[in-house]
Amino acid sequence: MKKLPLEGVRIADLSMMWAGPYATRLLAEMGAEIIKIESPRAWDNVRTLLPQPGAPEPWNTSYYFNDYNRDKKSLTLDLSQRAGRALFLELAAKCDCVIENYRADVLDKLGIGWDVLRAARPDIVLVSMAGFGKTGPERNLVGFGPIIEQMAGMASTTGYGDDGIPYKSGISYGDPIGGLAAAGAVVLALIQRRRSGRGAWIDLAQRETMAQMIGPAFAAAALRAEAPVHRGNRDARIAPQGVYPCAGDDQWVAISARSDDEWAALARAIGAAELAALPLDSRRARHDELDRRIEAWTRAQDPSAAAETLQGVGVAASRVLDANAIHEDPHLEARGYWVRLPHPKMQAWKQPRSSWRLVEAQPRPRRHAPLFGEHNREILCGLLGHPEAELAGLAAAGVIGDAPVNPGVG
Amino acid sequence: MASCAAMESTEALLPLAGTRVLEIGGGVPAGFATRWMTGYGADVVRSEGPEGALTSDEETFLLPGKRRVRRDTPRLRELALAADIIVEDGAPGALAAHGLDPRALLREKPALVITSLTPFGQDGPHAHWAATNLVAHAAGGILSLTGVATRPPLQNGGAQAWMLLGLNGFSASVSAWYGALVHGEGDWLDISAQECAAGMLEYAGPRAAFDGTPAQRLGNRVNAIWGIYACADGFAGVCALQRQAGAFLAQMGEADLMEPRYLDPGERVANDAELGARIEGWFADKTKRELLELGEKHRVPIGAVMTPLDLLGNASLAQRGFFDLAETREGAAKIPGRPFLGLDWRAGELRAPAADTAAVERDWLGGAR
Repeated sequence: MKKLPLEGVRIADLSMMWAGPYATRLLAEMGAEIIKIESPRAWDNVRTLLPQPGAPEPWNTSYYFNDYNRDKKSLTLDLSQRAGRALFLELAAKCDCVIENYRADVLDKLGIGWDVLRAARPDIVLVSMAGFGKTGPERNLVGFGPIIEQMAGMASTTGYGDDGIPYKSGISYGDPIGGLAAAGAVVLALIQRRRSGRGAWIDLAQRETMAQMIGPAFAAAALRAEAPVHRGNRDARIAPQGVYPCAGDDQWVAISARSDDEWAALARAIGAAELAALPLDSRRARHDELDRRIEAWTRAQDPSAAAETLQGVGVAASRVLDANAIHEDPHLEARGYWVRLPHPKMQAWKQPRSSWRLVEAQPRPRRHAPLFGEHNREILCGLLGHPEAELAGLAAAGVIGDAPVNPGVG
Repeated sequence: MASCAAMESTEALLPLAGTRVLEIGGGVPAGFATRWMTGYGADVVRSEGPEGALTSDEETFLLPGKRRVRRDTPRLRELALAADIIVEDGAPGALAAHGLDPRALLREKPALVITSLTPFGQDGPHAHWAATNLVAHAAGGILSLTGVATRPPLQNGGAQAWMLLGLNGFSASVSAWYGALVHGEGDWLDISAQECAAGMLEYAGPRAAFDGTPAQRLGNRVNAIWGIYACADGFAGVCALQRQAGAFLAQMGEADLMEPRYLDPGERVANDAELGARIEGWFADKTKRELLELGEKHRVPIGAVMTPLDLLGNASLAQRGFFDLAETREGAAKIPGRPFLGLDWRAGELRAPAADTAAVERDWLGGAR
């Protein structure tokens, strides 16, 4: 079996919520050692954002936290205390990279900014991923994924088209996009360091990585002053295309007829053979009518069966997989995408494998997300060489801990 | 505080300088996966895709700086073996059909990184299913969560299934390339659009997997303090966690909003509609600029719905040097440039299709590296 590409890379992870933790989960999947650092007084809010009723340790039993923090180690350090900062800088000196997604001013206020980190390890890579970057007049704006989506132009491009309303994504889309870009940034900086011996400070504004996702819309705006056009589920180059209701509660199938041949096949499948010869211009002009004909057929269909039928005649179609159906999808099942990882305090549930399938190295989830402070001893005594006798004093002072102080709903 | 600009090198040091990347297929996924590689210094050679695979605006954004060779070049296999990274978005098996079987290429050149980007992956019962951006988006789960419950699921603007696949392709490819540099071993990466999305359904995915709780489409209003509202000159939004709820409600300036029925997370659920109506009224008479200033002043997450046209004139993006200039037949276009600061980046020019075939064959195949 080949090595995973990032084996041997160690990363100190100060990030919280979703954007940064998503980046470090990707890096962990590629073999990096991730040390997640939280303070007993300021832990990753996602640990307690959706507590399970009655769970005795809600900070250790969140499925939400677990999915995005597996394969990491947990070290607790109160960075607002001198002893916590000192330990963090000892750790940073043994890390290739530090990653954080604090608000723009926080890292410096904690006294562990770029100059301090560089003094601890001259070739360190620091990846900062504040919502709007470290510089510029909007650097102090506060933002989570949905705010990033609005401020990057993405929300302005999404809409049904008949109500004039821009829509947010159903997920905090700005977070994983920032995380995906940050993972790439870490690796690029490591590649550069390998060539030059120099570290780097990456200033990644999540708004700017999100804006890339609608790059062509910027070209349209710049060249022709185009405002976003809300097309609903249609496409300027494909007709008909849409999301159509099926039998059952809130069941849908997405269908696209990309060519005359695909339209002819679709028309025959839905019992509209008399329309099979319509050229693209006519299909565009009569899109509403064609939608009604397609819907008349789909309403009686199971969404999976409809997709199978249409794919069988060469038409692009898929059931709109919801959060439950996607965990039962036969294709993902056949590819072994979902895995059940044992957890010491929770029942196992289906978690996604790495979507970066290295065919020969075969990255696989290895371990559940760490319990709070689970690796304090391993890191402080093993990696940093402190005597075990110090731990009790650090715990008594609240520098480290194995449970958050006053945990509440995030 | 030292600035990133202050620490930048005085000499250009592009992280991927000297790295050869071959893009085959020509669609949005491969085009976006190699877009940032180009800017960060790789010599990206694009073997043209089918005619019309990209719109002119997609070409303007995705192709600057890439060298372009003819689609039917008989030397494609030689170019593949001269590359460090291959990124392709053809159908499963398309590479092998062109004499570029990934396993065979890796046997000849073990350090090669080959990234295959497809809607459903290289194997499995749906591997050969036809897909558009919408269809791939439907299979990935995000579509089911976007839009309002009383209407159909709604796709995101832009080609998000393809762009997300391309973004994964970029970060995965450079990760594998780092491994090749350090360990001497490349790999074949099988990346599917469906899987890229299926693993990032925020809390809805793991919640459904854990206890079967269905997810609903919540439109623009997850709850009163997490949503988009109409404002005086468009739309704006707030996304406050519990720890920010007090600050957000306090800055609205109405004393009764500080009562437990709005502040306490449990009680607020019962009073969400009432609070939402209050917030709706508060947003309605304020401009985006006023709202953003209030958000910054009170350190609460308030945003505004900006269009690309708005952002082309945004002072923060301008000061941070976000945009590149691409010369097109329609004129000069400002397009998103470097995705992050701290590493050197170069803007590139748009080349004509097949314009670089001879030069690339000379540079890549003409002699020993």
